[in-house]
Amino acid sequence: MNGQSNHTPSESDLIQGCINGDRQMQELLYKRFSSKMYGVCLRYSGSADDANDLLQEGFIKIYKNLGKFRGEGSFEGWIRRIFVNTAIEHFRKKVKLYNVSEVQESTMEDTDISVLDKLAVKDIIVLVNELAPGYKTIFNMHVIEGYSHKEIAEILGINEGTSKSQLARAKGVLKKSLDKMINKTTNDTINN
Amino acid sequence: MQDFKNKLLNYEQEPPPEIWERINTELDTSDHKTSPIRGFRRRSKLVFYGITAAASLIIIFLLSVVFDGSKENNGDNNSLASTETGKGNSVSQNTKDSIKLNNKTLEDIIKSSKDNKLIAQNYRGASNQLKKYITISGPSGQPVKISPKVATLIVSADNEYPPKPVWNKKIEKWKQIMLNTTLSPTSTNLLDIAQLTSNLDNNE
Repeated sequence: MNGQSNHTPSESDLIQGCINGDRQMQELLYKRFSSKMYGVCLRYSGSADDANDLLQEGFIKIYKNLGKFRGEGSFEGWIRRIFVNTAIEHFRKKVKLYNVSEVQESTMEDTDISVLDKLAVKDIIVLVNELAPGYKTIFNMHVIEGYSHKEIAEILGINEGTSKSQLARAKGVLKKSLDKMINKTTNDTINN
Repeated sequence: MQDFKNKLLNYEQEPPPEIWERINTELDTSDHKTSPIRGFRRRSKLVFYGITAAASLIIIFLLSVVFDGSKENNGDNNSLASTETGKGNSVSQNTKDSIKLNNKTLEDIIKSSKDNKLIAQNYRGASNQLKKYITISGPSGQPVKISPKVATLIVSADNEYPPKPVWNKKIEKWKQIMLNTTLSPTSTNLLDIAQLTSNLDNNE
């Protein structure tokens, strides 16, 4: 038994242990995925407190629903999806997205935010967290997680057009924040 | 674009250590408390018991209404039987007179089918209460209330006079429908009344 506790358990042992309610296995699962999932929580939530709540809620859901994991696809993907869904639920309780007309949508121009590539990940997180909850969720779902606008519309119960326009606005806001950040950095450099 | 996306997708940060403690505590409490599914089952059970209780109350109420009605009928039957044998005194003289009068009225209607104004004449002289229903004795001696309209129909069922082709068709259709239904005939349905009419005609 002692020999067993020293080696890293396989994914299936970990899952089975958690299903059986083995607290040690549950802790191991937490340790294995908590950092990655905390990153997801931070991206979707506006504050560290919200991220902590999301992380706790997400892991409780995982422990309770592990029996439903059929082994189709990666385990990490399944866990990530639970966290994203938990974040979306959290977001849906707080924010109401209003559908916009096609006219509004067509006037939105696509903003180039490729300059984000040059920033450090922590700075990008800060910028993304400055977005309004609605913008942030759609930005995360579409740009980062790769959901299509159709999928986002179904999940959030909004129009596809609304999803597109919210994304365009999110990008616009990000661009402005980026410009501000760059100007500030430039001014700081000049002053120094 | 792809670069910052990957950066964000793979972004990791160590969560505060107290999170695991919170999860651990929640797992401990949820082990003792009911899980959401159990909670749901408990709620469903409560809803089920509630619905069952309500349904039982409704059934009890309906049964009591039905039994009260049948008790009254039985009471009437018994009273009628007792009057016939001259033993009972429970039925009031009014009821007896009313049934007698009604039977006589119906008999008059049937016998005088050639006079289509008879029904109106009979009812013109009757009290308001009597205008509503005629109570006749059923095949088993039980009182059966029929409306003047049904009495007219009984008269109309006689194909001889006065000719009522529209009514005859309607009644024929009605008979066919009733013959084809799985409803068991009772003393109050049209076929019984029609049968009663023909019996009365034969007795003449």
